[in-house]
Amino acid sequence: MKADPEKCIACKRCYPYCPMGTIQSCKRDERIPGRVYIEIDQEACTDCGVCLRAAICPVNALFQQEETWPREVRGIMSNPLIEFKGSQVPGRGTEEMKTNDVKGAFLPGEVGVGIELGRPGVGAYFRDVEIVGMALMRADIGYGLAAENPVTHFMTDKTTGKLRDELLGEKATSAIIEGKCKLERLPEVLKILEEAARKVDTVFSVEVITKVPPEGEVPLVPILEKLGVWYSVNSKNNMGLGDPAFQFYPEEKSEGGASRHDP
Amino acid sequence: MTHSLHRRGDREDLKEDFVVLGCPATGVNKKGSSPKTKQFLSICYRHGPINLGDMKTGNIYNTTMDDVLSRVTDGTIVQCTFDNREKVVSLLKELKEKRPGISVIISGVTDIVQQCMDEAGLGRIHSLEYSLGTWGRTERLPDFEILKTTTMCGHAMIGDNLVRKMVRDVKRGRKTVEECCIDMAKLCTCGNYNVTRGIRLLEEMLPLYMVHSLY
Repeated sequence: MKADPEKCIACKRCYPYCPMGTIQSCKRDERIPGRVYIEIDQEACTDCGVCLRAAICPVNALFQQEETWPREVRGIMSNPLIEFKGSQVPGRGTEEMKTNDVKGAFLPGEVGVGIELGRPGVGAYFRDVEIVGMALMRADIGYGLAAENPVTHFMTDKTTGKLRDELLGEKATSAIIEGKCKLERLPEVLKILEEAARKVDTVFSVEVITKVPPEGEVPLVPILEKLGVWYSVNSKNNMGLGDPAFQFYPEEKSEGGASRHDP
Repeated sequence: MTHSLHRRGDREDLKEDFVVLGCPATGVNKKGSSPKTKQFLSICYRHGPINLGDMKTGNIYNTTMDDVLSRVTDGTIVQCTFDNREKVVSLLKELKEKRPGISVIISGVTDIVQQCMDEAGLGRIHSLEYSLGTWGRTERLPDFEILKTTTMCGHAMIGDNLVRKMVRDVKRGRKTVEECCIDMAKLCTCGNYNVTRGIRLLEEMLPLYMVHSLY
């Protein structure tokens, strides 16, 4: 995002709208004494488009120019109105557990683990995304990356988690690493993330996904409680209303009638 | 992505905060899903959500319900935010009966969502996703009171400086609390911002922050 110096009157109305903090500064117009305009720090800006969509600028000085690779990745990852073609899902990630009832992406005994760097509202450079991704892959604990996720797509080597070099200096409002592993490997995953948390220069939000069995406790709960890991009182819950339902257990029958078994 | 997860707050604060999503599945039922998604959205609308929208079109605070409906295509993910448990129960009852066919997801306090499902006769939660919180350089995060508001938009379109500005605007008499919350709702394109909760949170925040000048 940029502010056109010919139009900007430095009223600063756009300042509080930036989710990345105060990344604007006032500049003096060298041609017209006393005239000032604002400049947006291009290094800190993630091209999320909030200031533009807020329509707060009284002189329409804000504009988003078409960016080329690798800068364009900022908008792809930060502006929710831009869809990443690889995932065919608007936003920064995949369908993850939203469609687990019909896709069977997370089977009993598996756990989905997502690590969203930069969230909430801090932003992350891809060099930090790489630190976490490579730590997970290096540990060789069977963490399989979600193929349709944008971050996976940006990796040069999906077995090591190495990202394209030209991306490492780019920044996103947030970028999510998504994948899954066997439930019994979850303690190791969390230990790796604990170590990675000390190395990154940002924050990350961690989420875990599980299939809830028809009976008994949620499989994640005893593991998290044993480890003393905090988990939220609120959660995201699939209602199991999608059709055709994926058949997770041989005896299972969908209420909607049709069922699908395609592991 | 998990834009309706990671909402911060305690059980009491979150007990009347629900985000209901309708999502077709790529490779399974996405093709031809547009009428199903429209049906889902229409059912949700009848049950009185406080916010409703689609990521690419916007929400009911910056466009109209007709516009959101008309722009639904195969693959559109729609979201409706509710501020009342009873509305969620009645919605689930109708969804169970009419079954639009796309996946339905509800973000909310886990045991309350399960209770709603039980009352609607839906049985157990199918799959679940927990937030394990924020790790790393958490000293860079704003105050928890501000975080409760900013995390309602999972895409981080509501910045902490904006929340502080809204506090200043109310204290200086420039805007009402309601106007501030509608302004914030407009920025959260998907429609995940719970305006009712937002008003309560902003009112709770007012005595906690000082302003340099009332002008």
